[in-house]
Amino acid sequence: MQILNQDFSPDLRGLIGAAEHAVRKIAPLFPLSHGAAENPFNGLSHEPITMTSARLARSAGLHIFPSKETQLSRVETGEITLEDIGISRFEVAPTLTQSDQAILEAAKTTNYIPQAIPTVADLAAQHSGTDWPNFVTDRIGAWAQGHFDTGDALWAPMAKQNAWASWRDWAMSDLTPEIFDLAGFCDTINQTQHTHWRAIGEACAALGIDNEAAPSVFHRLLCDLGGWEGLGRYHLWKAECARIRDTTLTELLAIRLVWEQALHACYANEIGQQWAALILAHKEPPQAAADHLIDATLQRAAERGSARRLDALLAQAREHFSLAETVSCNAQLVFCMDIRSERLRHALETVNPEIQTFGMAGFFGLPLVTQTQDAEAHHPALRIKEDGPCADADDAQDGLQQAISRSSRAAVSSFAYVQAAGLLRLGPLLDSSLFHERRVIGYGPVPRLPFETASEAAADIAEKVLRSINLTKNFAPVVVFIGHEARVTNDAQSALLQCAACGGYDGAMNARAIASLLNETPLRKSLAKRGIEIPPETVFRAGLHDTTGDTMTLFITDPVGDCNPQPIRWLHDILDQACDIVRAERSINLPATPRGGDLYARGGDWSQTRTEWGLAGCHWFVAAPRSTTRNQNFEGKVFLHDYHFANDPEGKLLADIVAGPLLIAAWINLQYYAATVSPQGFGSGCKLTHNVCVGIGVIDGNSGRLRSGPSDQSLFLNGKPIHDALRLIARIAAPQSAINAAISTTPDIKSLVKSGWLEVGSINQT
Amino acid sequence: MLVAWIVLIFPAALMVAGAIRLREKAAPIMPPEWAERAALIGIALAAYSAFHAITFGPTTSPVLGLGQIGFSVRLDAVSVILLMLMSILAWIILRFSATHLQAEEGEGRFTFWVCFTLAGIVLLFVTGNLVQLGFGWIVTSTGVNRLVNFYPHRLGAHRHTRKKIIFTRVTNIALAAGLLLLYAAYGGSDIASINTAARAGVVPTTAILAAACLATAAVFQSALLPVHGWLTETTQAPTPASALLHTGVLSAGGFLLIRFADVMLGAPLILAVLVVVGGFSALVGSVVMLTQSAAKTALVWSTISQMGFVVLLCGLGLFPFALLHIVAHAFYKTHAFLSAAKANHFIRAARKVGPVAAPSTRNVVQAMGIAITIYAFVALPLGLLETSPQAVAIGAVLVLGVGYLGAQGRANAAPRSLRLATAKASVLFAASYFGLQWIAQKLTAGTLPPTPRAGPLEWMVIAWVLISFAAVAILQTLLPLWSTHPVVRKLRVHVANGLYLDARMDLFAGAWKTDPLKKDT
Repeated sequence: MQILNQDFSPDLRGLIGAAEHAVRKIAPLFPLSHGAAENPFNGLSHEPITMTSARLARSAGLHIFPSKETQLSRVETGEITLEDIGISRFEVAPTLTQSDQAILEAAKTTNYIPQAIPTVADLAAQHSGTDWPNFVTDRIGAWAQGHFDTGDALWAPMAKQNAWASWRDWAMSDLTPEIFDLAGFCDTINQTQHTHWRAIGEACAALGIDNEAAPSVFHRLLCDLGGWEGLGRYHLWKAECARIRDTTLTELLAIRLVWEQALHACYANEIGQQWAALILAHKEPPQAAADHLIDATLQRAAERGSARRLDALLAQAREHFSLAETVSCNAQLVFCMDIRSERLRHALETVNPEIQTFGMAGFFGLPLVTQTQDAEAHHPALRIKEDGPCADADDAQDGLQQAISRSSRAAVSSFAYVQAAGLLRLGPLLDSSLFHERRVIGYGPVPRLPFETASEAAADIAEKVLRSINLTKNFAPVVVFIGHEARVTNDAQSALLQCAACGGYDGAMNARAIASLLNETPLRKSLAKRGIEIPPETVFRAGLHDTTGDTMTLFITDPVGDCNPQPIRWLHDILDQACDIVRAERSINLPATPRGGDLYARGGDWSQTRTEWGLAGCHWFVAAPRSTTRNQNFEGKVFLHDYHFANDPEGKLLADIVAGPLLIAAWINLQYYAATVSPQGFGSGCKLTHNVCVGIGVIDGNSGRLRSGPSDQSLFLNGKPIHDALRLIARIAAPQSAINAAISTTPDIKSLVKSGWLEVGSINQT
Repeated sequence: MLVAWIVLIFPAALMVAGAIRLREKAAPIMPPEWAERAALIGIALAAYSAFHAITFGPTTSPVLGLGQIGFSVRLDAVSVILLMLMSILAWIILRFSATHLQAEEGEGRFTFWVCFTLAGIVLLFVTGNLVQLGFGWIVTSTGVNRLVNFYPHRLGAHRHTRKKIIFTRVTNIALAAGLLLLYAAYGGSDIASINTAARAGVVPTTAILAAACLATAAVFQSALLPVHGWLTETTQAPTPASALLHTGVLSAGGFLLIRFADVMLGAPLILAVLVVVGGFSALVGSVVMLTQSAAKTALVWSTISQMGFVVLLCGLGLFPFALLHIVAHAFYKTHAFLSAAKANHFIRAARKVGPVAAPSTRNVVQAMGIAITIYAFVALPLGLLETSPQAVAIGAVLVLGVGYLGAQGRANAAPRSLRLATAKASVLFAASYFGLQWIAQKLTAGTLPPTPRAGPLEWMVIAWVLISFAAVAILQTLLPLWSTHPVVRKLRVHVANGLYLDARMDLFAGAWKTDPLKKDT
């Protein structure tokens, strides 16, 4: 946050501070190639939802509570009880004066539509009859598509220019505003300062924005950048991770401010007074309206109900506790904690009680990226090189594909391409129309780890993985690490369906790497020194769960070191049976396909918009030994992470779980919550009109608006939400004091819990 | 030849299937299959009409209706090829939309209007008389407007509606005038007789005026610059609608010129204007496409340029090539649109390969030189050089395009293996399109008139095409070398904005005016 230039006036420094503060209220928008979970209320969730909703209402015009219909149906089905309301109102809205009954009644009557404070563009539109707000978004979008493009357009603007300089270049040449009677726009831009800070200062002076109004005005304008603010925040987020400075987002703010300045100059006489009044409105601190308080109370009441249901399920499960412990096991399967794994784990244990399953974050302690993947993975990443000879012929083939693809898009050569090869597209057209079975994708050779198997680093990682799931003795003859992926085709946002812990990629690589590592004799020797004795007959394997079709791939040809592998045909059969059960369960909720509930073909169907429901329905998080949750069907609503308090006296493992998996789970849950309650603000809109901007995101039609988050098709069916908008309830099998200690180590989690965005409780206590 | 009427079952089946979907209000449990089955009937009928045309030669059925007003089916190389194309596309698009729009609001309405539009296009393509042509045209344009405006409450929906209404009116008026003038000129509505008369040299002034009207309608229908604006708005409609609009509907413009090829040849000046207008769209459209980052927007500009190329081919009198281009483009663009969401896939692939090495001036000159040599070696054995200078010029233009492919392989930094691979691919490309052009010429011989002999006007036009296309081809290959120059950077802004042609149209149509009705929604 420190400002490098010392010659700024104190006023300007104040504005800069306000801008730096405002940009941190924006949630990052991750490019399509990442499936990273993000907190949609980033920068706003340190405050209770009542305050956040007040801020978003006036800055973005968004309503972040479930619709009236949802609230009503919750009351009618008894999910919200009077008693819950009574307790919740003291938690979230102690200032409410109505009776509990009146709050319940309010659910039926109020219909609150938030209105954002108008911008200069809004005022100008009212006076001129020209749609300036959308015009500005359109113009900013037209520039931003080119500027942020990562290589799709063959004629891209000059690289290595910052956003402000690039936009100035653009706006000085763009004649569109002048065509629409914004006289002298190019000249105005020409006169703006070369540093965007000074431009902000000048614009604020012209618009009469002082240090008091600035924070609110800036947030309002940032929310009005047509989605590009999220991309700017992503650049800032990347810079923060690398501990460098990045001003992309404040530059975007400067751009929007200069637009306001230009419009204000043009319509000063007509709108000057109105605008001055609005500045005063911006100076008022945001306050939660009574509607926000009532909505928040009802929401909290519904979440209390959700917590009660989870506790009841856990209590039921505990009755089978002793029974589960005694069963011997012949295979141990380690899954990702993803909610979609939970269904499969339950089905597996039903089919064969002698199978033991574990849950942990799907990168299995190995934060890997290959060089083929983006360097900007979501977690601190070790770079590893894919093994195997890099065939020259393949490179040439890929290069040729690129060259042909460029020719098909370039001027003049595109005519030749269409005449010569256009007819050939009939082949893929018929193929995609007729056949929907998934192509067998090669997963390549086993990834080679960047360290020696005998090294301490390798032993550290292996030990941590095994201890975190308490798999340190009683090894079964076969232990399988199972990652997951969604095998879908023709889905721009497929990364959202992949493994969130693996940064939106499939989990195959991590599963295979950890399995092959644990098979190494030198590593087993160093593990033995640390007290983990892996019997020689135990073989580690890797697998991949396709969450769309519920099929299982086992990498049986992967080398197993010096181990003597036993045939695992029987495991295949059990997995197949379990997958059948899961498919049957899942197909009920998905719209039918012509072949009747056949989920196999779903992912391969290029016209399918609802391949699977992804992480919709994630309501709960449980960190406990599997024995305390076994024999209970949570219907794919729970993130299941293994945790054994007895083995974690110092609370280090718990702190890791809280800082990593729990935080990610809470973010994913908030992502679905936000998109469900406000698809306009936090969803990516209708898939049918998505206009993919490669490497950036999806644009809504030709509006120039960048959208992120789950699409309408992954949130709603026949107008009804698929995901019940409830915030995450977490239960951990540890004493409350240990949980509190773990929470206090992670500021992100601490603020979420403190402001009620996440409820964490102890299993033992309930 | 009453049996040719059987083809009319196809549009009828589409209408019926569409109407069934429209009646159904609740979302179906399964993706509806009726429309798709209607398209299958169409494929069978198209196969039959191919058999019919091969066995009996080009025929026109009698008019089903009163006097000259009614339906009659023309079966010849042009209509049969387009019927086959449309029936296959109809099946693909309807099958795609059935699942794609499953459980979407308005799915029935959407299917209906797609079927309706398809029926209009089919009626248009197989028409034997002017009345059916006009009817098919109106059905098509009605359907198109409903599809483009499928989400009337979307942001900016009223914006494109205003523009589209103006374009539709001009197009329809131009077409109606053209058809009436043709009727007046030849005293009948049978299209085959009109063409026969025109080929025999009967081209009265009214026919020349008719050609001008038809050309205007074709330019508007093909969304050429500067009346392309509504096409960029098609990204506001569901993807399958774009696939239909960019292929079947837009091809109607080129079809009009091809169908009345003989009449058009009677008006050389109008053809020359078409070359210029089409060539302008082709070049500018394809250069604008270079600057577009969003997948569907880039495809829109691609369509504008490809349609421009079709009109250019018609203007040069190369009607068989234009027909080939319409068919090839339709398959290409349908596939590109329907798989547009896959674009994300490609970026990972592209990152894996890394940036393509930029060729130097020397590389480009070498590549283009080699391409021209290939042209001589592939073209000579097929005897292409003996045909019209127009065909030779177009061949040269396309060869320059192949040169772009070769140039990438010849960049100094490119590995040897890539150089070989691109060289091989270039040869295959060249062989493929000369082969296809040869086939197109053989198939349409007799149906479509031969390319006219080049007079001074034609030579001028040919020179213009060669120079402008060659300049663009070479300059864009060198783009990486000069894209950082300040003037070029300024130019890029203008190009990325489509040279403001659409902005002017927006202003004219009041497209950015706030809609008083929508203000409070």
